[in-house]
Amino acid sequence: MNDPTDDAIDALLRQQFEGSVADDGFSERVMQQLPPRRRRIAWPVWASHLAGVAICWLSLRSSPLLLAGWRDWASGSLSSAAVALLIVTAGMSLLALGWSLTEADDHRP
Amino acid sequence: MPEHDAEARIDQALVVRVLADNDRLAFERLLRRHQGKVRAQLRRLTHGDDAAADDLAQETFLLAWRKLDQFRGDAQFSTWLYRIAYSCFLQAHRKKTLPGSDEIDDLAESEQPPTRPSGIDLQLDLERAMRRLSVAEQEVLLHCVQLGLSHEETAYVLAMPLGTVKTHATRGKAKLKTWLATWQSKPREELET
Repeated sequence: MNDPTDDAIDALLRQQFEGSVADDGFSERVMQQLPPRRRRIAWPVWASHLAGVAICWLSLRSSPLLLAGWRDWASGSLSSAAVALLIVTAGMSLLALGWSLTEADDHRP
Repeated sequence: MPEHDAEARIDQALVVRVLADNDRLAFERLLRRHQGKVRAQLRRLTHGDDAAADDLAQETFLLAWRKLDQFRGDAQFSTWLYRIAYSCFLQAHRKKTLPGSDEIDDLAESEQPPTRPSGIDLQLDLERAMRRLSVAEQEVLLHCVQLGLSHEETAYVLAMPLGTVKTHATRGKAKLKTWLATWQSKPREELET
């Protein structure tokens, strides 16, 4: 239950507050300043992702390192190729994590 | 509360219209719905500097327009606006274009607490007592009591831990109660006039 003196203080504070300010042309002035809205275009991002993946695949396709790494990793033997693949995967994951955290932080007002 | 929910749904619908159709009229409706409270908040924060408060309010709505796609609806739209407005105020404050907290603290130290009710209007005493509170206490009471936000919403707007908000609210009210104690013995009719 609220203390009656607290309620009295609350009531006084609310009484002291002038409340909403009348518009008096404020909204109109803001609307005149409003810049055109920029639409985010998504396709360049996706096209870049696909191009990146394709380039990676083309450059690593002829290298035995990737295949050997996968094979060793799947069989559980920690060869240098498997370790290299592990490090690259972990690095990419950390990079993605860092990016996501930064994005999430940017999205706070 | 249902009225509160209905208001929130209207805001949400307007936000969706702005984002989906780039609807400037929908944004104008949002602006007209919330400008009064946001400007009142800023006028209080700037201690009555109406021109500075209106500049900050304009900046707030321009930012809201630009960042509207970042509004996720996890807070009320009005609370989100208060938070942007408070951030704009803090930025301006850091640039020293507004009365600083030092000035406010100096004022707080120099002014004596109201001691005698006779001849002094209660509202004036309350104003003076408010200014004697710490800046954080003033800001918490402004948002919690005068703007009618919950403790959680106040914590979101001021980017302050919830426990700290509750502490500032309790301490601030306790100080006001002490400083205005002399008025408690006055007849109720006199307090209400």
